[in-house]
Amino acid sequence: MLWEQLLVLGLIAGAVYSLVGIGFTLVLGVGRIANFAHGAFVGVGLYFAYFMNQHLGWSPYLSLVPAVPLFLLLGWISAELFEWRGRKVGEVGELLVGLAMLLLITGLLETIYTDKPRAIQGVTAGQVVVAGLKIQGTQIIAAALAFSLAGGFYVLMKTSRWGRALRAVAENPVAAGLHGVRVPLAQRVAVVVSILMAGVAGVIISPFTILTPSAGTTYLIAAFAVVVIGGIGNTLGAVAAGLAIGVVDSFASGYLASYWTTLAPLILILVFLLVRPETEVAV
Amino acid sequence: MRPLWSRRWPATADAWVALVAVAVVSWFLLGAASATVLSVLVLAFYYGIAGSSFNFLYGSIGVFSLAQPVFVAVGGYTAVYLYVTYRVSPWYSLVIAMVIAACLALPVGLVALRRRGTIVTALVTLILSEAVTPVLSAIKPLGSSIGLYEPLKNGSGLGAMQFGSALPFARLLLLVNLAIIGGLVWFKRTRTGFWVTAVRDSPEGASACGVPVMRTRVAVFVVAAMIAAPAGVIYAQYNLLVNPDLFLGVTALFQVLVVALVGGSARPWGSLVGAVAITELSYYVTKATGSHPGTGPLTFAIIFLLVAVLAPRGLSGTWATMMEKRRKREVAGALRRVGAPAVGKPAEVPVPSTSAGGRERDVERT
Repeated sequence: MLWEQLLVLGLIAGAVYSLVGIGFTLVLGVGRIANFAHGAFVGVGLYFAYFMNQHLGWSPYLSLVPAVPLFLLLGWISAELFEWRGRKVGEVGELLVGLAMLLLITGLLETIYTDKPRAIQGVTAGQVVVAGLKIQGTQIIAAALAFSLAGGFYVLMKTSRWGRALRAVAENPVAAGLHGVRVPLAQRVAVVVSILMAGVAGVIISPFTILTPSAGTTYLIAAFAVVVIGGIGNTLGAVAAGLAIGVVDSFASGYLASYWTTLAPLILILVFLLVRPETEVAV
Repeated sequence: MRPLWSRRWPATADAWVALVAVAVVSWFLLGAASATVLSVLVLAFYYGIAGSSFNFLYGSIGVFSLAQPVFVAVGGYTAVYLYVTYRVSPWYSLVIAMVIAACLALPVGLVALRRRGTIVTALVTLILSEAVTPVLSAIKPLGSSIGLYEPLKNGSGLGAMQFGSALPFARLLLLVNLAIIGGLVWFKRTRTGFWVTAVRDSPEGASACGVPVMRTRVAVFVVAAMIAAPAGVIYAQYNLLVNPDLFLGVTALFQVLVVALVGGSARPWGSLVGAVAITELSYYVTKATGSHPGTGPLTFAIIFLLVAVLAPRGLSGTWATMMEKRRKREVAGALRRVGAPAVGKPAEVPVPSTSAGGRERDVERT
């Protein structure tokens, strides 16, 4: 009984990890940027939903509407910062900008909301009982949204002109540029899309998540794990890896002590780093 | 065989004289400082050591490690654990902690530095520093998540490194800082020091010249860990306790990084100057805002973002750039005075690259 429950919860968490991880792997593939602030935007999404709920009484799903332009804007600003610093200082400049944004976002959230854990109350969407398993409706909606976004992203990457351009840049920026792809634009688009996905993930998990300002680090590690296990720029790999991490996480916290939730993905990453053949030169 | 005493003024002599002068002057200045100033300075010097350890890695060999606070924590835990259980004086622990830190750093380095790129290293070391807190909370003899408290010793606390005021701690930490700076000045001109620079600037080239690239990188990683450990020992004695949050909370983790990067790794003194500047600033901002929660980290974050955007090589990097420009001007002026033929500008002094590994992306960006 317990393990089925854990499996389902793990898969739901995994769907969200996948969504966060896809964005991270996209930026790493297309822009060669390891965006340390990626997870922090999940935190921004969480607190944005909380803010709208507290002050305007909006449900998190309604908050998605203003969240999209907000994260597009935030994404564009970050992309410009990355681009500007990257051009001047190189890889490390981007690393620093990412770390600085992570710190800034965490610090801001802590200053405004203190580090007291918070939760959005009263947002429910019923619950589904399947074969004795009770699953919250909000969790199902989150998983479904995450999967459909990931699926839509995958299809777009495979079939659309934009997707092809992004994949071309990821593979070889110089050649893509010679073939008429606007490489700087493609790299900015990758950052914007990834941050949008992270923010949306934050908003849709807000009904059933405890909010703390340090949520950014948790999701950053999940995103890293997704990249290491699934491979860079590999959308399907990212989904599989996200689900795997979610399930491992959930089983670890169910059967072992609670601190294993933090440790399990870390150990998974280490094992994969040691076992996986050296394929990516850039990373 | 080099002569025992060469008549030439050695190139690093200025640095040594300055170092000794700073040590002597600040020793007495610290004696005159008030208790509040001292408590801020202890923190600054503590971060200075941790930052030096980071800068040594990053500046000399281009390894971006987020694990230095872990090695600081190793120092703190070693000292307090040994004192509480076996009454081993923390003075011995200074050395023991360095050995333990080295033993931990070796396997970590072997994993983290397996690949060339910055990102894997940053990732593995971030994992380590994130993983240590839950691991520590699970170990009973190390006090779980509450930590260990050190009992106060009656009578003279010198043997137990327990002092009534912050002054001896500040002096001790400053001396360690200066020792590290001196060590860096010396190291840069040894054979291994040249190897390290070669490995940073071109791993392929260094490897072709017979430099053991991987071994050098891991060795530097281990030494950097050993540099960090004493900071933990002394800081634990100052606080009379160790717990995971003291060394490894998110703020503590990033403060080390901020200090190191604000100071910059272009000069050995970067980290110390950066630490003093940023800790003082953060202290005054926190005081001015009435100690509102979160202002400390927020100040750090804003300074960090400003530095990352405006002066990515940090204070000492900006200084180095200024010095380079001045030297170029002087050379140009001297050439003009002697009426040298118009050779144009003197050859560009190449700025050593700060990142390991090349970037193909530059091609279409510039």
